[in-house]
Amino acid sequence: MNIDPVGFIPPGQDIAATAGLADAAGLGANGVARGDFASWIAREIGSVNEKIASADTQLQRLATGEVENLHQVMIGLEEAKVSFQLMVQVRNKLLEAYQDILRMQV
Amino acid sequence: MDLFAAFAISGSGMSVEKTRLDVTALNIANMHSTRAGSGQLYQPLTVISQAKAGSFATAFSQAQNAALGAQVAEVRATLAAPRLVYEPGHPDADAKGMVAYPGVNVVNEMVTMISATRAYEANVAALNAARIMATRALEIGGN
Repeated sequence: MNIDPVGFIPPGQDIAATAGLADAAGLGANGVARGDFASWIAREIGSVNEKIASADTQLQRLATGEVENLHQVMIGLEEAKVSFQLMVQVRNKLLEAYQDILRMQV
Repeated sequence: MDLFAAFAISGSGMSVEKTRLDVTALNIANMHSTRAGSGQLYQPLTVISQAKAGSFATAFSQAQNAALGAQVAEVRATLAAPRLVYEPGHPDADAKGMVAYPGVNVVNEMVTMISATRAYEANVAALNAARIMATRALEIGGN
């Protein structure tokens, strides 16, 4: 009896292509860097900022009574919150690595 | 599928259930309406929902946010027969003194209301689970 292994990534899929990581990290299909980390982080921060601004707009529309669905506003707020937390975690990891390097003996 | 796909899917489910509740409230509100705007008697409405066209497998494998979730297909008038009540003094009574009320079944409407509320709660629970998963993932490597 043949049992398919249960995997998070469907079989036959390139992992990087599946998760869209190749583009996000500025890497080409062959792993050669196209952009750098600075431009990636700038883009990510821009997208987080966009989410927060969109949540802010939705809140304003809620206050002025233009919003039809309360839950869409709450979902927007939640998305902004999780995006921001992700950005903060990336920043924490980055600073941690930076400080590790600073403490390195030369 | 990005991190927020589950948010969007649950949100669409919530929209459908809210529409269901709105329509139920409309039916209950018009329980005793003997006239409607068009001159016809009010017909109780029912919400028909459907899955959005997107396929989960496609959305998952192609890393794109296809239109997943649920949506309201249509709000259709039911064929419930009007309820005839003998009220000779009523302005809308016919020649025999019968007044036609909309065929709103209050028990059915209450059951629809309860099930819509519970389904909405289930969508909120699914969304919260997705949120907790994301928050837990962000705790990886934390102290």
